[in-house]
Amino acid sequence: MLTMNNIGKIYQTEMVQTHALRDFNLQVNEGEFIAVTGPSGSGKTTFLNIAGMLEPFSTGQYLLDGVDVGKLNDNQRADLRNQKIGFIFQGFNLIPDLNLYENVEVPLRYRGIKASERKRRIEQCLEQVGLASRAKHLPQQLSGGQQQRVAIARALAGEPRFLLADEPTGNLDSLMARQVMELLEQINRDGATIVMVTHDAELARRAPRNIQVVDGKLADFTLYQGAPTANAHVLEGV
Amino acid sequence: MLEIKPIFKALMRSKVGAVLLLLQIAITTAIVSNAAFIIYDRVTYLAQDTGYDEENVFSFAILTFGKDRDLMQQTELDETFIRNLPGVIDAAAMSAVPLSGSGSATGFTLKPQPEISKRARAAYIQGDEHVLNTLGLTLLEGRNFTSDEVVVTESAREVPNVVVVTKTFIDELFPEGNGLGQTIYMGDLPAKVIGIVESVSGPWLKDSRPKNIVFIPLMKAMKAQNFVVRTESGAREEIMKNIESELLQQYPDRVIDWLTAFDKSKDEYNAGDILMMRMLIVLIAVLVGVTALGIFGLTLFNISKRTKQIGTRRALGARKSAIIRYFLIENSMISLVGLVIGCFAAHTLGQLLMQHYEIPVLPIGYIIGTALSVFVMSWLAVIGPAKRAADISPSIATRSI
Ligand SMILES: Nc1ncnc2c1ncn2[C@@H]1O[C@H](COP(=O)(O)OP(=O)(O)O)[C@@H](O)[C@H]1O
Ligand SMILES: [Mg+2]
Repeated sequence: MLTMNNIGKIYQTEMVQTHALRDFNLQVNEGEFIAVTGPSGSGKTTFLNIAGMLEPFSTGQYLLDGVDVGKLNDNQRADLRNQKIGFIFQGFNLIPDLNLYENVEVPLRYRGIKASERKRRIEQCLEQVGLASRAKHLPQQLSGGQQQRVAIARALAGEPRFLLADEPTGNLDSLMARQVMELLEQINRDGATIVMVTHDAELARRAPRNIQVVDGKLADFTLYQGAPTANAHVLEGV
Repeated sequence: MLEIKPIFKALMRSKVGAVLLLLQIAITTAIVSNAAFIIYDRVTYLAQDTGYDEENVFSFAILTFGKDRDLMQQTELDETFIRNLPGVIDAAAMSAVPLSGSGSATGFTLKPQPEISKRARAAYIQGDEHVLNTLGLTLLEGRNFTSDEVVVTESAREVPNVVVVTKTFIDELFPEGNGLGQTIYMGDLPAKVIGIVESVSGPWLKDSRPKNIVFIPLMKAMKAQNFVVRTESGAREEIMKNIESELLQQYPDRVIDWLTAFDKSKDEYNAGDILMMRMLIVLIAVLVGVTALGIFGLTLFNISKRTKQIGTRRALGARKSAIIRYFLIENSMISLVGLVIGCFAAHTLGQLLMQHYEIPVLPIGYIIGTALSVFVMSWLAVIGPAKRAADISPSIATRSI
């Protein structure tokens, strides 16, 4: 579903060049649930942003469902984000002036789905995250965990096949974090591919596949296989 | 893909900025439409053609304090003297000077009063048969007075029985254009219309009938006598410079005063209007500028406040055009409400101004025209910031917390 070949990302600021990613290679298959860990500043968010087409990469090739992302224009990328990708952010990123219903509606409007279908989906998604009764509330009236569940409902509403989450539990206490994790696991069982960046080792362990980003490079190992992969030596150096 | 409803709802949830902007737009519309109309009204007024060869005509007054001369005789001597000066085309003593702001007017009727009949108001100017030529007027119909028809008198009852009139005046009394030869009445005194001249301005430019004039062939002895002189092209300045000393040489016991060129009289008469017009133009420019800046600033402020939201929307699939559209729609909603309020306010303000000043009714076209211009201006002010908003990178969504 997602293939990155030798992706490199350089941030050019006045004084310094930062190689946020270098020779980044990754293959993600349909239906996977991947936890991405790594030290702060190692390039996890950069990877997720490129995967979600939120920013361009400097070198390499990125194929999403066989589409060469590097060849798309801005509108095509926006449309592809809208259709295929659901985002979950650490800061929830709900729109403060819109109530929960309207927040979940945002990506559906950009897709041009008609009102009755929007309503059906929004109600279903809010139901799924257990907040159907709060549809008319504003985000600020909810707890952090509830807000993140609304954000998940928003990500789900467009029925994306690919969910990207950047530290979705980073701002939540452990109880709420577990609830969010359970929700994501449920969504994964329902068929969505999930890539989740997290600092929480316990949550990461629950994911079937873990990858680690260190200094802009990938160290891939799969917990459920019980043994480190060939890349494991990279980790030992950390 | 119209997003009016959610944009409207979002606006209603944080409306302070929007309300301020809306009021600003309303006030701008109200004031600018009225100011623009007043300017238009003044411009047409100032641009009106008086009908005179203003550059070559001037007037002055002779105030006689000497008691040893017959005033009437002296006036006639003065007229002859001035007419014979080199460069002078013609000169005449007149009871009132056009464009000067002072004179007399009365109602003229079709039947002797107190009988009720049609009535038209006109300024009247008394003088001899040189008046028309001095003012440079073209006869359209009929003829000028003869010198025999000029009545020279001290009595109020002894009046001429012929008059020459301007076309606008006689057409008001005789709309069919058959005024020549008719008799009109000033009170109960009849006068036959023997000539019709082109329409020129009377003493008051701001009169409701500025070009209604009746010329009466009458000379009265006056201690203060107005004279009007028409010169050959280019000769006026020199003649005006010397006229005082030359007249005093003829007879010294008097004062020459109010020596004024016709074009200058007009400017002096209008100085207040020109000042007001300039102030209104400045007012419009300032208001429009402030409103445009307000819209520009509010949109920039909204964008910086909503940077993360915009990034998130982009991440969720908004195209750049959708972001631009969002701000345009939002701005249009604020503007439209402001403009509707502004139109009513403009109408009300127009009514108030009309009641308190001599200003005609504000035409609806001015309100609509101003509203449209303000709307266009609001789009111009918002389009730049909106484009900047669209350029916000979607990566902001994950980068800023
Ligand atoms: N917009 C940017 N401009 C310059 N440098 C950046 C920018 N974003 C990230 N970086 C740098 O890229 C590196 C990787 O950042 P990031 O992907 O955010 O790491 P992580 O998410 O793993 O903490 C860091 O050194 C960071 O400072
Ligand atoms: Mg990060």
